[in-house]
Amino acid sequence: MRVIILLGRVLDLSGIVVNRRAGRIFVNREEYLLQPADRCALEAALRIKDATDAEVVALPRSLLPDDDVLRQALATGADRAIYLVGQVGNLPPDDAAMARVLAAAIERLGGADLILTGATTLDTGQGQLGPRVAEALDWPQIIGVWHVEASDGRVQAVRHEKAGYVAIEANLPAVVTVLPGALKPRYPDGARLINVYRGAGEIAVALEQWDVADLVEAEALKPLVEQRGQDFPPERERGTRVSGTPEEMAQAMANALRQRVRR
Amino acid sequence: MDVSYLDLLMAQQEEVTTAEGGGGGIWVVADVVDGAVAPVTLEALGAACNLAGSLGAYVYGVVLGEGVTDGSTSLTTGPAQALYQAGADGVRVADHPGLAQFALEPYLKVLSDLIKAEQPEVVIFGATQAGQELAARLAQRTGGGLIEHVMMASLDEATRTVQGAFPVYGGEYLNIAACPEARPQFLTVEPGAFSAPFLDPYRKGEPTMLEVELVEPAVRVLGLAEGFEPPCVSLAQAPVIVAAGRQAGDFEMVQRLASALGGQVAGDRGAQDAGWIGPEQVVDVRGVTVAPQVYVAVGIRGDTFHNAAIESSKFIVAIHPDPTAPIFKMADLCLEADPKEILPALLKALE
Repeated sequence: MRVIILLGRVLDLSGIVVNRRAGRIFVNREEYLLQPADRCALEAALRIKDATDAEVVALPRSLLPDDDVLRQALATGADRAIYLVGQVGNLPPDDAAMARVLAAAIERLGGADLILTGATTLDTGQGQLGPRVAEALDWPQIIGVWHVEASDGRVQAVRHEKAGYVAIEANLPAVVTVLPGALKPRYPDGARLINVYRGAGEIAVALEQWDVADLVEAEALKPLVEQRGQDFPPERERGTRVSGTPEEMAQAMANALRQRVRR
Repeated sequence: MDVSYLDLLMAQQEEVTTAEGGGGGIWVVADVVDGAVAPVTLEALGAACNLAGSLGAYVYGVVLGEGVTDGSTSLTTGPAQALYQAGADGVRVADHPGLAQFALEPYLKVLSDLIKAEQPEVVIFGATQAGQELAARLAQRTGGGLIEHVMMASLDEATRTVQGAFPVYGGEYLNIAACPEARPQFLTVEPGAFSAPFLDPYRKGEPTMLEVELVEPAVRVLGLAEGFEPPCVSLAQAPVIVAAGRQAGDFEMVQRLASALGGQVAGDRGAQDAGWIGPEQVVDVRGVTVAPQVYVAVGIRGDTFHNAAIESSKFIVAIHPDPTAPIFKMADLCLEADPKEILPALLKALE
């Protein structure tokens, strides 16, 4: 069985300052972390590897300027990592283009049984990459799971729905996206971590580099969504008092809570 | 409202779409919960109507499900009529027993056929689980761009492009994005971000029924996951916290509220003194500093140390009988009442 894991990176929030008055975001310390949801997906993949001896292959979820997250995945236990590089136009490819690139990469790998990735990104909160890859490959998808297991050509997952935690199942191949905080990620192995950056041992050949131009046409890399600046949410109005009978107050509170508590 | 006028309007719209070969308006795909349209769909319709006004487009609603037209005898109820009342100019209905429960593949088939036939300019979903799943797959299938979790929408009239603002780092700031070239433009709107439109009970219409070609869902639901325990989240990272204070009265009610909201129980020093919580659950700068999405303070007066520890919370609700309690200066929503009276009614309202 081959498990593909899609990994991305995120700017550490503690290194940036959001200044509402200046209308700007200041980056004081540019440090990148593995996306927390992708980290949980990596953990899920490694647990499947432990249980079924699957091959875990790491791919980036966007075109990255360095292969840091892939090296971390290798050190944590992935068998192979493929760093995608390419001469892109002015704008980097978005999730729609990446879905096509990744589908082509998986085809070149000789197919896969399961694709795992994070259900959301910490920064932009977008979760469209998983479903988009599923559509590009025409595979079933299970989105936003707390737990995932795969064996005998099937994938089983636990997802939170209205009724509670529900077990769902799909045939492989499939795409599963894992929620941040779903699993407790393991730490990278110290010796592997040193080797993976030194380029020593068998781990050095585990990191390959593929050119995007070999996978898809340049036209397919054009992003559909473009950034048009930043804005700030409206200022909070504190101290709004609710009056009425206890029932009316409770109803107002329930409405406010229902809007904000996502279950 | 005279329905024949609406028919005339619809007839004009058909002409526009055929003449220009596209530009088929703004479409809102309804989220139906327990036979009624979810509030987020009505909010999305309100946003769509605002955009349509400056765009010169029509707003359409799409409802998928079973029995959503309500037997056509009663024109004022049912999800399809709710969409008309919220401002939709036309409603398409796919009514089939196989669509009673949300399943990705059958829903996808109906919607992708509809989008291919009607060539909409903008398609809006609610940012619910189903909406997120459908929007991303439809966008990839039809070659459209998708902006998720939109909280504010504006229009770039020159290119007829919707600009959506979505929260970054959980709402620290918003990013504005647009898809200027790809059509349709898909958006999923965050529940509660847009105001609900006025429901006009005199707005009525005849929904158009869609042919349903049923596809087998690829994912099987096996039932409740027995024995599954979600991972323990530390109090500092919990998204929802319900905290008790000296005036909370009945701690059991606080615990029930926490489980109803899927949150964690905490408290101030008073709750620890009462023996309700352990020292590791005390919200205080000397204890745990928290930053949840929602913080409910039940009977907490709110001393300086406690208020400093909840400063980064995104939304604070406070219930306390004393109107001068300092917690009310921090809270976004303040209820001056005895928690003993509020909590039973609240639990009932949340059910």
